[in-house]
Amino acid sequence: MTKHTQAYVAALSPTQRRIAQLGVLFVPIVTQVTDILRVGSLAFYYAFKKPIRWREVVQQSFFIGNRSLAFVMIVLGFLGMILIFQSGFQAKRIVGDLQGMGALYLQLLFREFAPTVTALMLATRVGTGIAAEIGSMVVTEQVDALRMNNAEPIQYLVVPRLIASIVMTFVLSCVALCVAFGTGMFVANTVFEVNVATFYNTSLLEWGDLIIFSLKALAYGITIPIIASQAGLSAFGGSEGVGTATTMAVVNASLAVTILDFVLSGVGYIFFFS
Amino acid sequence: MIEFIDIHKAFGSKQVLRGVSLEVKKGEIMFIIGSSGAGKSVLVKHLVGLVRPDAGRVILDGVEVTNLTEEEYYPIRKRCAMVFQNSTLFDSMTLLDNVALPIRKHFKLSLAEARSEAKAKLALVNMDQHAERYPADFGDGMRKKVAIARALTLNPDFVIFDEPTTGIDPISANIVDRLIRDLSDRLGVTSIVVSHDLRSIFGVADRVAMLYKGQFVLDGPPSLYRETDNAIVQQFINGRPQGPMEV
Amino acid sequence: MQALSPLKLLSRFGASFMEVAQDVGGMAVLLYKVIRCFFPPKLDGMETWRNLYKVGVKSAPIVVVTALLTGAIMVIQSGALVAQFDAFGLLGWGAGFATLREVGPIMIGLMFSGRVGANNTAELGTMKVTDQIDALRALAIDPITYLLVPRFIAIVLMMFLLTIVGDLTALVGGAYTGQVLLGVSPSLFASSVIEYIKLEDLFNGLFKAFTFGVAIAVVSSHYGMTTSGGAVGVGRSVNNSVVASAVLIFVLDYFITSILH
Repeated sequence: MTKHTQAYVAALSPTQRRIAQLGVLFVPIVTQVTDILRVGSLAFYYAFKKPIRWREVVQQSFFIGNRSLAFVMIVLGFLGMILIFQSGFQAKRIVGDLQGMGALYLQLLFREFAPTVTALMLATRVGTGIAAEIGSMVVTEQVDALRMNNAEPIQYLVVPRLIASIVMTFVLSCVALCVAFGTGMFVANTVFEVNVATFYNTSLLEWGDLIIFSLKALAYGITIPIIASQAGLSAFGGSEGVGTATTMAVVNASLAVTILDFVLSGVGYIFFFS
Repeated sequence: MIEFIDIHKAFGSKQVLRGVSLEVKKGEIMFIIGSSGAGKSVLVKHLVGLVRPDAGRVILDGVEVTNLTEEEYYPIRKRCAMVFQNSTLFDSMTLLDNVALPIRKHFKLSLAEARSEAKAKLALVNMDQHAERYPADFGDGMRKKVAIARALTLNPDFVIFDEPTTGIDPISANIVDRLIRDLSDRLGVTSIVVSHDLRSIFGVADRVAMLYKGQFVLDGPPSLYRETDNAIVQQFINGRPQGPMEV
Repeated sequence: MQALSPLKLLSRFGASFMEVAQDVGGMAVLLYKVIRCFFPPKLDGMETWRNLYKVGVKSAPIVVVTALLTGAIMVIQSGALVAQFDAFGLLGWGAGFATLREVGPIMIGLMFSGRVGANNTAELGTMKVTDQIDALRALAIDPITYLLVPRFIAIVLMMFLLTIVGDLTALVGGAYTGQVLLGVSPSLFASSVIEYIKLEDLFNGLFKAFTFGVAIAVVSSHYGMTTSGGAVGVGRSVNNSVVASAVLIFVLDYFITSILH
């Protein structure tokens, strides 16, 4: 709190003071959310303005996509195995029949696990990557140098990453889907002796599943770079500032992904699945 | 007494020290000078075991410290303190707690006792009135003074100063210089100072050794540096951009 | 992007393998050094309390929020399935089982890794590049005992405690969502949880939480302590730290799941 606020609060009655303390907690949250919205809307505004640095978009796509590919594949591969392991044992215990497992699993992958887990992984890798990059540029005054050359930082730095992220998040989610399904099929086959053809069952898939998948991947692809860029742009104070910015990016991005997941899952349920 | 015997040190493919030898007598104030990146900091870090030589020996007061393990080094570090180039105060603590930390860890004193000891040490460098504030509030000069106070808490016999006056204002630089002189005169502390501050060199040093390209090119009292015809030394001392030195 | 000859690809692969091996080795050494400080116990009490407080306060709000949301999401997803098979009585089991055993520890682990792990790496990394670690060593204070052990204890303990809290919160969030979205009363939800969930499920999840806590502590400390290269280096270390933690969480989860069956 600033000295001004401190003096003000000290002059309040005890109950008023307690309410004011609660407000203190909210101020940084509100400030950060408004800043994120500011960066986001500016990024969208500039995204439709020429010129777009397509070269940078391609390079960022490489950083986001190729560099995260192994990471996403490993994590989702293991996730697939875990999910089938658990559901297999439980289904055996409660329902006894494993024939429908593949179809249900595919549905869940589309609706939930593929886009969301991919996004959570990207929130860590890409989120910290972007925040670290931009944050270092801020504390070493490179962003100021950009402004001096009449290059608006959001247009110059954020927009390419935004475009690259939207595309790559979708692509990686698709890859994640395939990998998780593949490893799940493998476990179902080797541990539970479910026939591969039986497991590969798309009968339960509806348009709603595909729409929700795409919506989630799109939403995550938009949110992560914006949040990470905002965190990076607000860095100050040398290496400590960069550390703070990267931590902030990963936390905010993960939380945003979770909130979006909740909202979109709810929307999906209401519109498509009830 | 401190002895460096034929020290070689490389970092990756860069050979920083190529066989340097140096003797520092007890109670002396020895300045090690040279251009940036010449290897001055690397050399003095050998004394406290933060760097180990690729070849050569380091002897501190008759004890060979070249190959001691990290744990064996602890008693050495209590006798030989180091004040770093960045002020390296702990950002998460007040100035007082910064100075009190080593006291707490090494002497069996309560927190309150350690803190009052710390306050006394801060008074030595004229910083006791700021005891409850944080390092981030202060500029380099004042932080350096507190770092010196912290280094003195274990009552060392030897102190290494890594560029103590670089980047601080002339008044604070003078205070630091006089402190180093004081330590030697009153307490018999042996000081090794890494520096390229000419005023300190000619004001306080007993002896000066200059490092160039991984070796010492001159070793003697400050007066020797004014009188020598060594072209490299002359170029450095007079700050001439042109000359035989590769900068 | 140049075309890669097979030889170049192989040498690139070898180089990254060596890097990974180096990191894994470094973490193993760190873990060993930290564990050695428990026999006999030598730790800095003041620092341990300070870190417990810091870690707890920092991560509690976000774990609670995440847990609520996760519980809700699990119910929404299971809800669709349960409605398909008209098996509302199983809702509590479906959501609860998955939460306690898998999704709870993993989600909380990931959030924890982001909030606490990244922070830890950033702090230690900043200290490393500003020579504060060397300053400790020069003052004959062992960085392992003073810095790492307290953080280790704080992270592992808090991860464990917060998973318990998180599990309960997730179930509450799930129950509420079940009511609002599916019309399943909380008592039906609760009874299906109690009937089908065994204590074993809870302990399974808690064991995972403990392991994840150790993983996060070791990984974040390792990358923090090996930071180099100024501000840029700190950012890079945090990046590597959270990525490695995430991978490790999933890998460990798989092995624990398969072993404990």
